[in-house]
Amino acid sequence: MSMGRLIVVAIVALVAAAMGGSRRPRWWLALNWVGTAALLGAAMWILGGGAEWEWRSAFAVGGERLHLRLDRVGGWFLVLVAVIGGAGAAYARGYWPDRERPASAGRGRAWWSALVLCMALVLLCANGLHFLMAWEAFALSAFFLITLERERREVRMAGWLYLAASHAGTLALFAFFCLLAARTGSWDLGPMRDRPGLAPLFWVALFGFGVKAGVFPLHVWLPSAHANAPSHVSAIMSGVAIKMGLYGVVRFGGWLPVPAGAGWVLLAAGATSAVLGSAFALAQNDLKRLLAYCSVENMGIMLIGVGTGLLGAGSGDAAWGRVAMAGALLHVWNHGLFKSLLFFGAGSVAHATGTREMSRLGGLWRSMPWTAGLFAFGSMAIAALPPLNGFVSEWMVYLGLLDAAAGHARDAAVIVPATMALGLAGALALAASVKASAVVFLGAARTRVAAGAHECGWWMRLPMLGLAGACVCIALAPLMVWPLIQRSLGTWNIAWRGDGTPVPLAALGAAQCALVAVVAAGGFLLWFRARANGLRRAGTWDCGYSAPTARMQYTGGSFSALAVGWFAWVLRPDRRRRWPKGPFPRHASRVERIPEAVLERVIGPVGDVVMGASAWVRRRQQGVLPDYILYLVLGLVAVGLLVALGGVA
Amino acid sequence: MSGALDLLTGLAMGLSLVALGTSRLPSLIRVAALQGVVLGTMPLVMEHDLRAMVVVVALATVVMKGVVIPVLLRRAMRTANIDRDMDPLIGFLPSLLLGAAGLIGAVLLARWLPLLPEHHESLLVAGSISTVFSGLLLLIGRSKAISQVCGYLILENGIYMFGLLLISSTPLLVEGGILLDLTVAVFVTGIIVDRIQRAFDSLDTRKLTVLRE
Repeated sequence: MSMGRLIVVAIVALVAAAMGGSRRPRWWLALNWVGTAALLGAAMWILGGGAEWEWRSAFAVGGERLHLRLDRVGGWFLVLVAVIGGAGAAYARGYWPDRERPASAGRGRAWWSALVLCMALVLLCANGLHFLMAWEAFALSAFFLITLERERREVRMAGWLYLAASHAGTLALFAFFCLLAARTGSWDLGPMRDRPGLAPLFWVALFGFGVKAGVFPLHVWLPSAHANAPSHVSAIMSGVAIKMGLYGVVRFGGWLPVPAGAGWVLLAAGATSAVLGSAFALAQNDLKRLLAYCSVENMGIMLIGVGTGLLGAGSGDAAWGRVAMAGALLHVWNHGLFKSLLFFGAGSVAHATGTREMSRLGGLWRSMPWTAGLFAFGSMAIAALPPLNGFVSEWMVYLGLLDAAAGHARDAAVIVPATMALGLAGALALAASVKASAVVFLGAARTRVAAGAHECGWWMRLPMLGLAGACVCIALAPLMVWPLIQRSLGTWNIAWRGDGTPVPLAALGAAQCALVAVVAAGGFLLWFRARANGLRRAGTWDCGYSAPTARMQYTGGSFSALAVGWFAWVLRPDRRRRWPKGPFPRHASRVERIPEAVLERVIGPVGDVVMGASAWVRRRQQGVLPDYILYLVLGLVAVGLLVALGGVA
Repeated sequence: MSGALDLLTGLAMGLSLVALGTSRLPSLIRVAALQGVVLGTMPLVMEHDLRAMVVVVALATVVMKGVVIPVLLRRAMRTANIDRDMDPLIGFLPSLLLGAAGLIGAVLLARWLPLLPEHHESLLVAGSISTVFSGLLLLIGRSKAISQVCGYLILENGIYMFGLLLISSTPLLVEGGILLDLTVAVFVTGIIVDRIQRAFDSLDTRKLTVLRE
């Protein structure tokens, strides 16, 4: 089947799924799978070496002819859209079924297909105007998915915050595409590196796409939206939607000429996101909020990779830039896979217990062995532990950074600190993922809801298994994905076209396989000995007490207290304590809350000032005719003064 | 000739100040009407050769501004049973002072403006600006609908004076059109005044704010 037909099949199937999906769950699932399979086929075809696809319509939409184009950069991201779009649809069938959510399940199905379709269109559109339309439709369908459970107030708040932040970004993109069209004289997008006058536009695009990507100071919408959305929505938001922001940065960093400081800024933003994202993640007590901040951290890692790639491309297409960029691209896939897996796991916990609060969970591995195992797997992957796939991509980013530093690259002044930040972020991320899996799944149940948990059904388990399988494939055979990365990189920067493998991926794959074999052998030995000697079961962490209670365990807060102390300058924890008093103390308590620092300390006050000014202006607008005439006169005088002082004839 | 024109202009400027200083509505209407008459006679003084058209327009202006509009306004005032603007937004003395300041400013501004050489000596530009300013001041500072209509009239008088500068190149027909507009506006306002009076039992336009949104 030709490429165009695959795309048409995908669009038709997804449109049909979005239109009719709310009534017929089975048809919806089938159509959604047909659509995502067609998208996956198209993307893999092109990454596998097929010719790039381009199509222009004879008719015009909004005064411009449609221009769709699938190249290998877009195809790389399209794979992720298709995989998570398909896996999440299956998961939703078990997680958000009609019988449990009669009000919102149908709506959720329709918007899911719409979201997948719109993200695919964002990747396909090669006309600024239609790109903006697809981008807006994508933002809106994500909004409706986040607010599926709209009867809850915090869900609505999260939705509005997302919508506002998203539109702030879209505003910048409007400016970007309009300026681009004004300077080039056409809405058509494509490579235009030979026009250095366009370079400053990159900053506007970086802001617009950075909001969607959740780069650190622009991430304000991300934690609450990801925490309050249904988990399959969090998975696609975190796994795929924020990657659309990164896609924008990669795409226009490749097509447009890049200003001189772009690589530095990307590295700095990436390092900030990575370190602070993981610090915030470690401090969270809400399981899904922790995962959301982990996304900020991982976005930072990808930005470091892309920034290094830009620096490499700027200094004579150095090989280290190519390696780091390849690492960033691979991390896009990896993070999409294991973050979706983790959100699916968190969703299955929330489904079984009805809470995301880690201090109310604990000991779930006994009742939910599948979820516990898969979540632990995902945590290991996201903490970049070998022999899993997160390690492969982060290793490539490190390799690029270290090569650059060792080769005394021109930009070593920023590359070395970024490497150190990446190491710090990795350590914190490891602590955060240990916290998430240990507090939720190990130990003893802290509350009755945790004790009464049940394992999730196969509709939820199979997508998780599939994603874990994909992670294993990338981890053990990284050489297999290298040609795909290679083609994508070659499209991004023509100088990097070619088959050479600058990374010893074969050795890495062999080492990972050996590690797996060693771990498996060790595990088998342990199991064998345990069976031979017999097992004695005891309460976790009972520390020799004769009658331990669940409250004696490490809590999430106590686990992360040390690291939260290091980062108190930015986390600003809000602590309320009541010390025990007297020989027979009655009450003692300690409540700790980690505020959304940027939102509450920066954007909140600024918003208050704006609202105050608006209220003041509004009081001036009250229908008194003489006042209006006065405003007119003042305006006229001001214009007159402007003309007089400006010397405009 | 120039002397007579300047005399008339000065008279109009003085009348604007009187309008700013008075609180009684009948005298305000009278001042506005008188200013209209003064302005109406200006083209007759200016033109060397009195064409029939100029005479007709001047006559129409005098009749319209000096007779028709004041009569309409006075009738509206009588229907509304009101003859004072009791609580202006800007007091009478402050508005008088502001008007005086505006007059000085207008003279300075007229000197500074890049005018044609033949207009440099004339008081007409300064008079026109100061009259416009006085009209705006009345519009902003007074609360009753009728004083605001007078403000519009004085504002229009200022614009008319400015138009006189171009009398040799622009036909007075344009001026006639503006005059027609103004008459219609006064008609409409007269009707509205009546309605406001009936609906709100007051002519204070500030009370119209309950209609917002």
